[in-house]
Amino acid sequence: MAAGLYKTYRLGRVHVPVLRGVDLTVSEGEFVAILGASGSGKSTLLHLLGGLDRPDKPTQAARVCQHCGYDLKGAKKEQCPECGGWLTQTTGRSRIEFRGTDINTLSRRALDRYRATDAGFVFQFYHLLPELSVLQNVVIAAMVRWGVGYLAKSASCNREAAVLLEQVGLAHRLNHRPAELSGGERQRVAIARALINEPAVLLADEPTGNLDRKTGDAILDMLLAVRAKRQLTMVVVTHDAVTAARADRVVRLVDGRVVGE
Amino acid sequence: MYQLLLTRRYLFSKIMPLLAAVAVLLCTAMVLTVWSVMGGFLTMLIGSGRTVTGDVMIAWPNAGFPYYQDLVQRLEKDPAVEAAAPMIESFGLIALEDGRKETAIIRGIEGESYARVTQFKDILWWKPLAKPLPKDKHQLDPRLTKIGGTTWEQIYNNGLSLSRADGPTGAPQPAIVMGIEVSGFNSRQPQGFYMPTQRERTLPDGRTQWVDQFMPRDGKVMVNMAPLDSSGKAVEMVSRQFPVANEFQSGVFEFDQKFVLMPLGACQEMLKMHAAKRRVKVAAEGPKVVATPPGDESFDEPETKLVDDPARVTHVLVKGKGDLGRSGAAEELRRRCEAIYSKFARDHKGAVPSDLSIRIYTWEDQNRTMINAVQKETALLLVLFLIISFVAVFLILAIFWSMVAEKTKDIGVLRAVGASSGGVAAWWVAYGFAIGIVGATLGLGLAWLIVTNINPIHEWLGEKLNIVIWDPRIYYFVKIPNVVESEKAMYVFFAALIASVLGALVPAVRAAWMDPVKALRFE
Repeated sequence: MAAGLYKTYRLGRVHVPVLRGVDLTVSEGEFVAILGASGSGKSTLLHLLGGLDRPDKPTQAARVCQHCGYDLKGAKKEQCPECGGWLTQTTGRSRIEFRGTDINTLSRRALDRYRATDAGFVFQFYHLLPELSVLQNVVIAAMVRWGVGYLAKSASCNREAAVLLEQVGLAHRLNHRPAELSGGERQRVAIARALINEPAVLLADEPTGNLDRKTGDAILDMLLAVRAKRQLTMVVVTHDAVTAARADRVVRLVDGRVVGE
Repeated sequence: MYQLLLTRRYLFSKIMPLLAAVAVLLCTAMVLTVWSVMGGFLTMLIGSGRTVTGDVMIAWPNAGFPYYQDLVQRLEKDPAVEAAAPMIESFGLIALEDGRKETAIIRGIEGESYARVTQFKDILWWKPLAKPLPKDKHQLDPRLTKIGGTTWEQIYNNGLSLSRADGPTGAPQPAIVMGIEVSGFNSRQPQGFYMPTQRERTLPDGRTQWVDQFMPRDGKVMVNMAPLDSSGKAVEMVSRQFPVANEFQSGVFEFDQKFVLMPLGACQEMLKMHAAKRRVKVAAEGPKVVATPPGDESFDEPETKLVDDPARVTHVLVKGKGDLGRSGAAEELRRRCEAIYSKFARDHKGAVPSDLSIRIYTWEDQNRTMINAVQKETALLLVLFLIISFVAVFLILAIFWSMVAEKTKDIGVLRAVGASSGGVAAWWVAYGFAIGIVGATLGLGLAWLIVTNINPIHEWLGEKLNIVIWDPRIYYFVKIPNVVESEKAMYVFFAALIASVLGALVPAVRAAWMDPVKALRFE
């Protein structure tokens, strides 16, 4: 459950409000698609849900006009002097609750652990490490999770990675480098990497955005199959209505606000 | 664990880490080469400083002390002492055959005991040579050829016994051994050996002729010395001509240019330090050799008495057991000598200087000025090269900085899968450490190759490019030190590792503090 999420980025001297009070609830095992145009704040929302970034505190958010980004410098004004828009005073506090814990309150170390064990990321551009083989790209997530303890688990982690890669149809590519793979194959490796630590939530940012329709559909089929098998909660960010249509629920995001489901 | 995997995979996958490793390699090799060669020079110099002195000296300059045979016996009974030898050291003036007069330090020695305490046998220059010097490719060293009228073996033995068959009878006469640079008649060659020169001699009829200046064959030197009385005044100037038995090269230019060795007995006689009946002043408690303060002689001349005055020497040289060539190693022997002298002084109370007055010092104390100078030069060179090597730290910093920029997306991915900022920093530090290991290891190898082959390299430079850095005509060695000490190698290795880690530290902090979201969006 996420509530009251604000996020403003600063580009030079200009504040750019990206999220302007997002509330979102995702049930366990649910597949939610967040649909929105480019710049609507969907990737930012995903990063906040995954603990990669922290939302602004409401007091911070209140200092910036949520319509135009004008820096109000803490002035308690009801109308923005820049755009003339009426301000809504933000109250309460932003929360991203995961299984009863507000991850905003977690320490840096605990947040790192949350990302390592509970959330798995899949990115539009795969983000594989080019110097590592396919198998190593998957295993490295387990290495990060277990630290020195990986030494004792290396055999089982390697086995698990090989199984995952076999499930995504890459058993014959274990020792290949990412550069030797097609876009679809790279995304499958990225999915295997996201799943190696058996996360509760899979957060996918435009997972098919860089693929052709056919390959993208195959990837989506695979994600759905994995979700069904592992009872995964899935939040997929997309601007593609066809992809979104396959979700249990679609959340529309426009200018940093949820405008409808 | 992922840090090790990434470090291993990234180590040689790009040209930049290779460049960083090469920078570490070059700096390591440079520092270790300089340190090894300069350290070798220092060791060589220290070794040379001991060639004519032994390990410890007991000295009472100029006046000297009697009963030295007793002291030598007491010293040689001590388990820490290998041998002891009496010696006189005094200033003198020598007159050479070409008319030059040179000041010299005259040492009266017993050839046999001096050879046991010092490296006298080894430093005698004119001797039979089994093989040519390393640089003497064409075997031009005169010691490799026959010498007319005498043999090298004979000349060598003359040097050891400080005698030379001379005069009409051909009977052995007391002779001197000079430092090889004293006469100025020996010309040092680029190959490292000496070639006796010739000089122009004017004949009685006015004609001139070139004569050989090979001193150990027929050279003679007039030695002038001034014996001192008990008050330190010169009694008279004593002159005596000596044939030259041999010449020595100690490895220290100062010694080779100034020292003249002569038989102890002859030296004692010239300096009036031999055993004889002498008239001495009588003090209230009995006959005793006492010093009269300068200027007091004309007032109340004390009563004098004829006594048996034993022979005296100014020094007793002591050689300890084992190698005492390391810095500070002769200190223990010095303390032993002090204890032995203390008892000796008690047993000869009044006749010899007290244990508080006598000077007892090690070879290191004696050569302190020279050793300090070379040590300071070595340290200065090292500091200079270390400063230059510090550039490597900045080079690694610059290379790592750009590598962090290049790997920004990878950092973002690692943070996304749960890597902590500390873990990311540790990865880059480990990466710097690995580059340090590779660079320093190869650097040690390169330094070892350079140092062990420095003489062939130096010769090659001389032959092909006419670059002679260490010319034996100027420097006092024919061979450049070519040993890499493991202790020095270890220090340089760890310094290189620390430098590599330091260079990687700032980029590591930068990587650690990178915003993962920005890192993932980095293009």
